[in-house]
Amino acid sequence: MKLFNAAHLEVKKDFSTDFQTNPYEVGWADECIFFIAVEGLSGGNAALVAAVEISHDGVNWVGEGTVSEPVDKLGLHFIRVKHFGNWLLLNCSITGEQPVFRLNIQIALKG
Amino acid sequence: MSSILLSRFQPLSKVLVHDVFNTGFNGWMEIMPNFCEAPDFEESPSIVVKHQWPPVMLSTPTFRYPGSHGSLSGQYSLKVSTRPVANSYNQPPAPGSMGHAIKRLSFHHLKRKYLQFEMWFAFTAEQDKVDGAGALPGLHESSIRAFGAGWDLQERGNRYFAGVRYLNAVDGALQKKWQLIYPSSKDDKDWAYGTDGDWCIKGVDPFWFGRRYADGRHDGYKDIQNAQQALCYNETDCKINWQYFRLLIDTENRQYVEMQCQDKIFDLEKHPIFCVAPYDRIDGLMNPLVWVETDTNRRVFLFIDSVVISQE
Repeated sequence: MKLFNAAHLEVKKDFSTDFQTNPYEVGWADECIFFIAVEGLSGGNAALVAAVEISHDGVNWVGEGTVSEPVDKLGLHFIRVKHFGNWLLLNCSITGEQPVFRLNIQIALKG
Repeated sequence: MSSILLSRFQPLSKVLVHDVFNTGFNGWMEIMPNFCEAPDFEESPSIVVKHQWPPVMLSTPTFRYPGSHGSLSGQYSLKVSTRPVANSYNQPPAPGSMGHAIKRLSFHHLKRKYLQFEMWFAFTAEQDKVDGAGALPGLHESSIRAFGAGWDLQERGNRYFAGVRYLNAVDGALQKKWQLIYPSSKDDKDWAYGTDGDWCIKGVDPFWFGRRYADGRHDGYKDIQNAQQALCYNETDCKINWQYFRLLIDTENRQYVEMQCQDKIFDLEKHPIFCVAPYDRIDGLMNPLVWVETDTNRRVFLFIDSVVISQE
């Protein structure tokens, strides 16, 4: 049987500026989905773009190439990643006028 | 358990848990806030922010130069970690400055006296930047404030926390001593940093409640006599050594019995365990847990290779 695990990276937290998720170790997994649940959203033209980053040591990071479409609505969004080493994070950029995103970000791994 | 594993542990007659994290998480997860409030499962109010405790991970663990270190029993261990944020020691813990792992089970046998926690563990700080002073500015041993192991328990109408922690550093000054959980606060308000009306109860959740003092005292913990111990912290943050831990308590008389780390045994001299009134719905609860806390703005890690919880 495969191993599956879902872990929270952020829970019910408000974000108004760019941020990175806490690094997560994923070496055991073959596939990953980042779920981004937007529970609250305010501001003018508020949008969030999440870019996947990989690392060889959990300290130094480089873009993996996967970048989300702009997230600008309430509800559940996701990003799939198939090929990675031991570490993953999301580098998130927020734009708009006085934007506030209330987010739950979960990393779902299977392998 | 195989004879090799038995020689690595010293279980009591009834083994409740034997988790080797090379096989997976085995039900150990981070401690989260409670989500019971309207309108949309909001977090229950508390003076301590708990949603920033990082999730547990299956770790290789992997470093910048040596690559993957592996574990005692294979390649993976359970990593309990912090975010790179800390308050000074005498302040309440900063959001994300601690990490916990808990497994939730319950008592299954009425004839019970002793309860024992054993684990093989290692600890280190993140090798993020060279910012220290002295001969080895890139060695971060003093970034680790503390780690510990024990239980959250409620049985036979008594709610109590029993456990010990290794106080490693206070505001950068190494301490290297073991302490047991025992509250010394005056009352519930004092336990909650002087806050009126918080839900917390003296003795409950000593990890983040109980006043802390700049000299290293903590109202949730008490020094164990003659329990100074220099644990293995290797020559560089990217070398970790697996070390043995054992804690034995008496759930009949609610007393600490003894603890062991590496090859040293410390007599806990039947020190009482502090009990409070039971909570609704949770009698029989037995939650073994481990935790780690950072002393500075740097992630620190507690790796658990394997755990045995036993009873007799």
